[in-house]
This record gives sequence, structure tokens and C-alpha cells, in this order.
Amino acid sequence: MTMKNKMPMVLDIISDNIIKHGNPLALKGSEAAAWAKGLDLPVKGELLFYTGGEYQMLPFIDSLVKTITHVDQGSKVFSVMMGVRNLIEKKTGINAEKIYASVLAKDKDRYNSVCLKAAKVLQGLGYEFCYAGNEELYSGALLYELGYLEDMREYVENVVEVVKKSGAKTIVCLSPHAAEVFKFVYPKMVEGFDFEIVTFVDLVWQRRDKLTKLQFPGAVVIHDSCRLARELGIHQELRDILDSLGVEVKEAPRNRDWTTCCGGPIKILFPELSHVIGSRRVNELKESGSEHILTSCPYCLSALEGGRAKGDSAIVEDLIEFLYRGVRA
Amino acid sequence: MTIDLRKDFVDYAKSLDKASEDPNIKKALTRAVSSYRSTVAETLERFPHTAELAEEVRELKSQSIANLDKLLEQAMASVERNKGKAFYAKDHESALEIALGIIGTNKTVVKGKSMLGEELLLREYLEEHGNEVWETDLGEFILQLRKDRPMHIVSPSIHVPREQVAEVFSKFFGKEVPPDIAEEVKVVREFMREKYFTAEIGISGANVVAADTGAMVIIENEGNVRLSTGAPPVHIVIVGIEKIVPTFQEAMKVAEVTWRYAQYGIPGYVNIISGPSKTGDIEKVTTYGAHGPKEFYVIFVDNGRSEMAKQETFSEALHCLRCGGCMYECPVFQVTAGHFGHIYMGGIGTIWTAFVAGGMEKAAPMAYSCLRCGRCVERCPMSINVPAMVGELRKRSIYGE
Repeated sequence: MTMKNKMPMVLDIISDNIIKHGNPLALKGSEAAAWAKGLDLPVKGELLFYTGGEYQMLPFIDSLVKTITHVDQGSKVFSVMMGVRNLIEKKTGINAEKIYASVLAKDKDRYNSVCLKAAKVLQGLGYEFCYAGNEELYSGALLYELGYLEDMREYVENVVEVVKKSGAKTIVCLSPHAAEVFKFVYPKMVEGFDFEIVTFVDLVWQRRDKLTKLQFPGAVVIHDSCRLARELGIHQELRDILDSLGVEVKEAPRNRDWTTCCGGPIKILFPELSHVIGSRRVNELKESGSEHILTSCPYCLSALEGGRAKGDSAIVEDLIEFLYRGVRA
Repeated sequence: MTIDLRKDFVDYAKSLDKASEDPNIKKALTRAVSSYRSTVAETLERFPHTAELAEEVRELKSQSIANLDKLLEQAMASVERNKGKAFYAKDHESALEIALGIIGTNKTVVKGKSMLGEELLLREYLEEHGNEVWETDLGEFILQLRKDRPMHIVSPSIHVPREQVAEVFSKFFGKEVPPDIAEEVKVVREFMREKYFTAEIGISGANVVAADTGAMVIIENEGNVRLSTGAPPVHIVIVGIEKIVPTFQEAMKVAEVTWRYAQYGIPGYVNIISGPSKTGDIEKVTTYGAHGPKEFYVIFVDNGRSEMAKQETFSEALHCLRCGGCMYECPVFQVTAGHFGHIYMGGIGTIWTAFVAGGMEKAAPMAYSCLRCGRCVERCPMSINVPAMVGELRKRSIYGE
């Protein structure tokens, strides 16, 4: 006898959105690609710039969590798990307007512009790349994370189709989660998936000699992302890049392949606990002696930003945002 | 058949949130984590061969799990050769029935700490059948009096500060026990001493079993296991079948790696017990029950383990030495302690929950509270890939088994 489980609805929402809309939060392709307007990036090329919509959807994740926690007047957790029913429309997935009404324009602008900044940084280093624009699809990393592996097997076909259209040989991922699934999961699911997978950090590191020194007062502390440090083995590269910028790096008590998780991965189902873990990590990072935290992962960025206490003087930035200072100068 | 797990997720999330706000857990875990990290770092530096030894143990555990049936047979034969009695318990119920069959009712039992005991709820079962059972490990004794459950596999009462210990002891002993750790230890020592020598039965677990010799290796610091297994006339060992390795020499390697990653250079006591107490001092006639137990029983418990061993993704979970190191490095465990657990705890405990103690209903919410951050793998002397197994459990909870 097969035993089936009825799981928290938020899992169904996320997986359905990915499968039906190509994005965990059903963001429209035009919305996720808005940052590229005016850059005139080609759709074909050797190197494919891949955002997966991950930075763009960050404020919406927070909004989803917040909205579903407020639907039910009762317990916070109860509503996350059970109360989302009202927000689902049979045809369109979640009622985006209801959920996204509370997203602040400044958050939306900030996270959208991360992609633009990444593109500018890479262009500044002489990289030429293409971008799938409105057609770009999310990698499906959350299907993998949340256990929807059979659905993922089908879903990745769509992603591969889009990726192949570009004619690229190499995919550069902004998010380590996308890089992880492209590198380790896709080859097991798709025959002949032989793209070279690199991260944004890899490309910057390769041309770090071209970076201009930054006039940056004080030091920074690196929050190594779990995926980047442990799965992809990238941590010294971040330090080398900062060294090339002439920026001093202070080290947290737990770093590199012993880094402490930001709490982000459990945000959707256990928002309060996730927040506690994020706050603790912020404090641990501050023990380094620097309050300027740099990370290189969208979920770490969002979780640590959320983990700052009210009025906390700590600054949380993505490496992309930090590097962009040099581009503007 | 569909099982609605939504309420289980809600209840579980609530208990995690509550735990994360508990000042005792926060205080105790912060202290425990920092002391574990510095002690284990210092210990591994002092005994630099440990990492390499762990690699060797990993290989031999893997071989042992692959040959579980053969090793079990050999270990049982060795116990019998040593004039002990060996039993195989296929599941939870039969393990309890075998134990009760040996013990009977109206007995006093002194028991050492054992996660398998927790898995079987052995103490509660024996008590229900009219026995007086005492947890002799200090931490377990505190929990027994509090009707509480362990919050860490090596340090079960990690979440109970001295003030609360004093409170529960004062009530139990019917006299004022001050919140002074030395005093608290002393009062239990006095109380337990009498129990060791009046008990009819001593029960212990075992950290490693050598199949060739039938030697049970039991690691401890308090000395309670020495007394519980030495003083009463009957000693019963309950042990999971995954603890068996081929030889005595290999068992020593496993034991050393276990205690080293549990932050000990060398533990206070390493007990090696292979049969009843005996003497041949008078006319070379072997007589049993000299100073120690006259009767020696070993119950090898399966209870889902051989099923785990058969599944490629999960068999690795049986390599776990229960050193507890992963828990100190787990960001979720650091703020919730054993609440991230059912009977077994943390990421590795999630796998054990699914197969051995609790089932998918308990394991699914735990699996989703794991960050899959992978730091436990860095700490684990066996490099058990818990995130991969958690991923597989999630898949099963979505699509059914």
C-alpha cells in the first residue's frame, strides 16, 4: 500500500508555481527581466548570464511569508502552514496582488538592481555574455531542496530548452543554489547536459587583476554561503577578490567550510526559527570586529538582512553590490 | 491512504519556536557548544592520528554493515561460547518481551544510559510491569525524576541548570539540597550506592561489539556503568545490531574514535565485558558468579536497522558512532536542543526517526526543519551525508514510499 502524505500547503504553492509559472512566486518573466532594459544584451552567445530570478524574488518571499502569517489572526505558525488556502486561485496559482501588495518599492529596487550590478561588473571586466530575458526560467533548485524530485525531472526539460536556445557553452550563475543544481543535479536528470557551470565569483576571481582598488575605510567580514563554501568549494576566491580590491577582511569564528548557515533554507516553513538563526549568525559575524557583512548568495543576503536587530548598525551586502562601487567610481 | 501531516508540522514548529525562546536551553547550549569546540580541537591536536583512524573506522563500519547478518550470527555464537545467553529481537515488542522474560516482576533494576533504552522506552515498560528501575547516569536520573526526555545523546540533561536540579532533588530526597553541583552529585552518589548492591538486575547498552570474541565495549565517565554491570547478580546488555564489528582490535579503533569525537582524550572508564563473572581458583573448577554477575545476557536489537542497511541511500546512517559532535555544530540544534528530535535528535536523528523510532509522521517535519547546510558532515568522523538522506526523506514524504 502506498502511503501518501498531506503536506503543508505552502510547499504545494511553491512547487506548483515553479512547475506552472517557472518561478517559485509566479513572478512574470517581464518582471524578473526588468533590470536588463536598456542593456541590449544578446539572446545568443558563448557565455549565458543566468539570474534564475532569484535575487528579484527575494522581497516577494518575505512578503509571502509575512502575508500568510497575517491571514489567520491566530498563531503565526498555524497560518503559515494552514491559512494560505484563501490566497490560492485555482487558475493562476497564488493571488499575486494580495501577496505582493506589501512589498516595499525600495526593497524591490534593491534586489532587482543586484542583477544589473552583476552584469555591469562582469562587463567592466571585459566579459561578453547573453541573457534569456523574459524567457529565462528558474533553475528548480527549490524543487530539489523541498523533495519534488519527480516533478523536477519534468520541469528541467523546459529550463534546458531555454538554456540551449542561447547556444552557450558556459553558464554563469549569480546564485550558488542554481550553480549547485546545474552542476550536480541536472547531469543526472538530463542526458547530455554538458554545460560548463561557473559562478559570478569564479568569473570575477579569474580577472581579479583587472579590478580597481577601492578606497574603502575599515574592514569587511565574509559570510560564506553553505552552498558556495561546502558544495562548490569556493571560499578562498572571495578573499582573493577582496585582496585585489585592497580591502581588509576580518574572519568570523566560524567560516569557510565550517561556516554557519544563515537560517534561510527553513524560512518558508519555520519563519521564526529561521529568524533566530539569522540573528545569531549576524552576531557571530560581528565578533570578527567588522560590521560590514558581505555574502554571495541571494538567500543569505535576505536572511542576514532580516536577522539584523532593529537599529543594528551592521551592514549586509552582496559581494555584487560591493563590487559595483568600483564600477561607479 | 493519505496521512494529513499539516497539524504535525504546526505542533512541531510551535515546539521549536518555544525551545528557541527558552533561556535555559540558550544558556546551556551556548556554554556546551563553545566548550565542545575548544575541547575537541585541543584533543584532536593532542592525538593527531585520530582523523586517519576515523577514515579507517569508516571503512570498517561500512564493511560491517554490509555483512550484518554474518557478524550478528558470529557475535551471538561468541556470547554463547562465553557462557552468556544471546537473543535476537526483530522489533521493539520482542526486545521488550525478551527483557521482561529475563527480569520478571518485583525486581530492582539499575540501568546505565542507553539511546536504545530510550528507543524502546525500556524503563517505562519495566516499571509498568512492576519493577523498580533506576537510571544511574546522573543526567538520566535527573530526567527520570523530572519525567523529562533527553535533550542530547551524550549529555541528556544539558538543558537543566543546577537550580532546577536542586529543586527536583530537594523534593525527591525530602531534604534541602542546595543548588551546588558538588552537593548534587554527592547526594545521588549516596542514594545510588545502596541501589547497586540491592538490585537484582543491571542493564547497560554497548558502544561497540566485537563479533570474534563477543566483547562488549562500554564507554563512560561516571563509573555508574562499572557498578551497574558489576554489582548485581544479573547483567543484561541491550545493543543495536549496527554496533557489531568483526574483531576485538577493530572494536578498540571504533571506541577510540567514538570517545575522541565526543571530546575525550580518554574517557574515565572503558568497560570490556564478554560474559558472566567466573573463577577457577579452587581446584581449577570454573564457577560462575564470583564477584560480578552470575548471569550475562545480550539482546541484539534490529527494530528497523536491517531495513535501513538494505537501502543504499540510508545504510550510511548506521555508521553513526553516537559521539554527538554533529549536534553541537547544527545551527537548529544549537537553538532548540533535543526539540529538533523525537527520540533520536538532529539531522542524523531524523533518519533514525524515520526507520527506527517514530516513523515518517515524526520524521517528515524534522526533515523539513533541517537546513541541509552540511556542517554536520564536516564534523562527523564518519562523514555521514545527512543532507542527502534528508533530501531523500523529503522526496518520500512528498510522493509516498
